[in-house]
Amino acid sequence: MKRQGIFLISTLALMSLVLAAVGCGAGGDAPQTNDLPIGTKLESFALPDLNGTERSLDDLKGENGAVVVWVSAQCPVVKAYNVRINEAADELKAKGINMIGINSNSTESLDYITSTAEEVGYKFPVLIDKGNVLADKLGADVTPEFYYFGNDNILLYHGALDNDRSGKNVTTNYLREALNSALSSQAIQTNKTNAFGCSIKRA
Amino acid sequence: MFPQYLRRIHIHRIFFFIGIFAILSFAISCTQTKEFAQIPPAGTAPRRAGPPQVVQIDDAKLKQLLTPNGKPLLVNFWATWCGPCREEFPDLVKIDSEYRGKIDFITISLDFIEEMDTGVPQFLSEMNAEMPTYLLISGDENKLISSIAENWSGGLPFTVLYNESGDKAYLHQGKVSYDTLKSEIEKELTQ
Repeated sequence: MKRQGIFLISTLALMSLVLAAVGCGAGGDAPQTNDLPIGTKLESFALPDLNGTERSLDDLKGENGAVVVWVSAQCPVVKAYNVRINEAADELKAKGINMIGINSNSTESLDYITSTAEEVGYKFPVLIDKGNVLADKLGADVTPEFYYFGNDNILLYHGALDNDRSGKNVTTNYLREALNSALSSQAIQTNKTNAFGCSIKRA
Repeated sequence: MFPQYLRRIHIHRIFFFIGIFAILSFAISCTQTKEFAQIPPAGTAPRRAGPPQVVQIDDAKLKQLLTPNGKPLLVNFWATWCGPCREEFPDLVKIDSEYRGKIDFITISLDFIEEMDTGVPQFLSEMNAEMPTYLLISGDENKLISSIAENWSGGLPFTVLYNESGDKAYLHQGKVSYDTLKSEIEKELTQ
């Protein structure tokens, strides 16, 4: 009996030492993203605009490509960006690149999206991605999120418009830098960025 | 030198004392860790006795705050403008209440600065939230997001559980379930 007790204590001691030596292991559970890799060619897609008319990437893109931006009617970050998004649309158009808005939020009705788009006065068509099919295909996660495709539909840049959500301290305009490099046949220094935004409300 | 039965007793005693010593050493090391862990992470605000207070931080301060101080550290990135963040918040308050003293828990608001003294404390008050809350004004969100988790796109909410050593034990983008979070915390506490 006494031997058993001593054996038990000795075993516990060894276990304690092992535990102390091993410490706390960490198991990861990283979020999985399915981003369309930079350099991938996107097959032209077609989605309905706010009037229900099917519009395709090939029909809407400019001579130098297209910027596809995920928008939302209710997201405050998109609201903070709307003026800059419209300014970017003008700037892009002058460079032969057309902007295309996509709304994949299952929580926003067509009426709400339409009235907000009219209120903001978007200078580009907004397409409805019912069932977030396109968002899934490209791995779009947040609003606003920008994808720049060259004329051959190859993805050249993915990420934020600039480095400041508020618009008060913008020091880098990632999208502008990317497309200026592409248009002058130079390598794009930063072709992927991340930014805080509203999660796309998937169906 | 000793008779056989005495030798056996000696060996048993030696094992016995080694056992006791090892257990005590482990227990003492754990106790010391816990005492050390009671010191809040650098720069954390004390738990609130009055109305919720939100402290503005920059990237450097955030980096300091993400260093565990002897306990697992739970960090939730959120914003009042983020629907899923608001939805999960009652569960986070519950987690805070259940694991207070066992883990450190801070929340990082990505609200606009205008909300620091209005929308954010108001929401925290409505939630009866007491965990230290900071409002991050980042100089470079792109770099910051990548430094926290490579696969994080920047979508909110985002929850990270660091173990005592500062390794990421659990990451989740999107609304986290109470049961999952509890289970992940328990895993860390029982290791």
